Amino acid sequence: MGGWSSFISVVRAFCLLHVTNNYLGTAVFLQTYGPSMLPTLNISGNLLLAERISTLTGKLRPGDVVILRSPESPRKIVCKRLIGMEGDQVTYVVDPMNSDRCQTVVVPKGHVWVEGDNIYASKDSRNFGAVPYGLLKGRVFWTVLPRKDFGSLAPKPK
Amino acid sequence: MLPTLNISGNLLLAERISTRTGKLRPGDVVILRSPESPRKIVCKRLIGMEGDQVTYVVDPMNSDRCQTVVVPKGHVWVEGDNIYASKDSRNFGAVPYGLLKGRVFWTVLPRKDFGSLAPKPK
Repeated sequence: MGGWSSFISVVRAFCLLHVTNNYLGTAVFLQTYGPSMLPTLNISGNLLLAERISTLTGKLRPGDVVILRSPESPRKIVCKRLIGMEGDQVTYVVDPMNSDRCQTVVVPKGHVWVEGDNIYASKDSRNFGAVPYGLLKGRVFWTVLPRKDFGSLAPKPK
Repeated sequence: MLPTLNISGNLLLAERISTRTGKLRPGDVVILRSPESPRKIVCKRLIGMEGDQVTYVVDPMNSDRCQTVVVPKGHVWVEGDNIYASKDSRNFGAVPYGLLKGRVFWTVLPRKDFGSLAPKPK
């Protein structure tokens, strides 16, 4: 009987973990491969907390840091900042290393525009275009590690 | 998705293992989150994987004009079996693989269609 009740506890724990992970939030260890979100995120990786309620209810706003499944590499989760929702006009610098040329685009229906905070070293919507909303996996709201950055994330640097 | 699926609705079984392990092949019927309406799940047939060349009829109601496109990296090309009345990759383009939610492998209802799904009609 002892073995059975501990088995039930394990099953319960897994169910709770599954529901939490899919519908509430998740702890995401982001190994920032490349400094695309400097200075907001650390180049050697952050432990972030992301919640899924905003993405599931559609309550995201431009300025939020989101995690999404990369449209080019489906197994990779990337972390970018939300710049524009569907219908928004987004003006972006096409190639900041080489020129100041800007381009304006309207975000198509069902899509969002994401950019890294460090536009000099970020593959984002400027490269792979507007991202379908269904690829967004969560909104990052808290930095756990490194300890000096513990707290909510900085807004977009000007 | 006529004639493969019923116009008044089917109860289907879909599995996620193929999508998670990447073992999908052209010809599979898949469910995916619509790129235009994020809350809708749609059911289409997988026509091409990334890197494949896909030839499709642009507007079958009005002409026979075909167009060939290479499916970009990380994307798939989906089309409904009834191309005369289907919004699919011909309208919204190649779909990122991350939007695929499962592979349909069994029809439960209606009872006359109970069993695995038909292959793509020629």
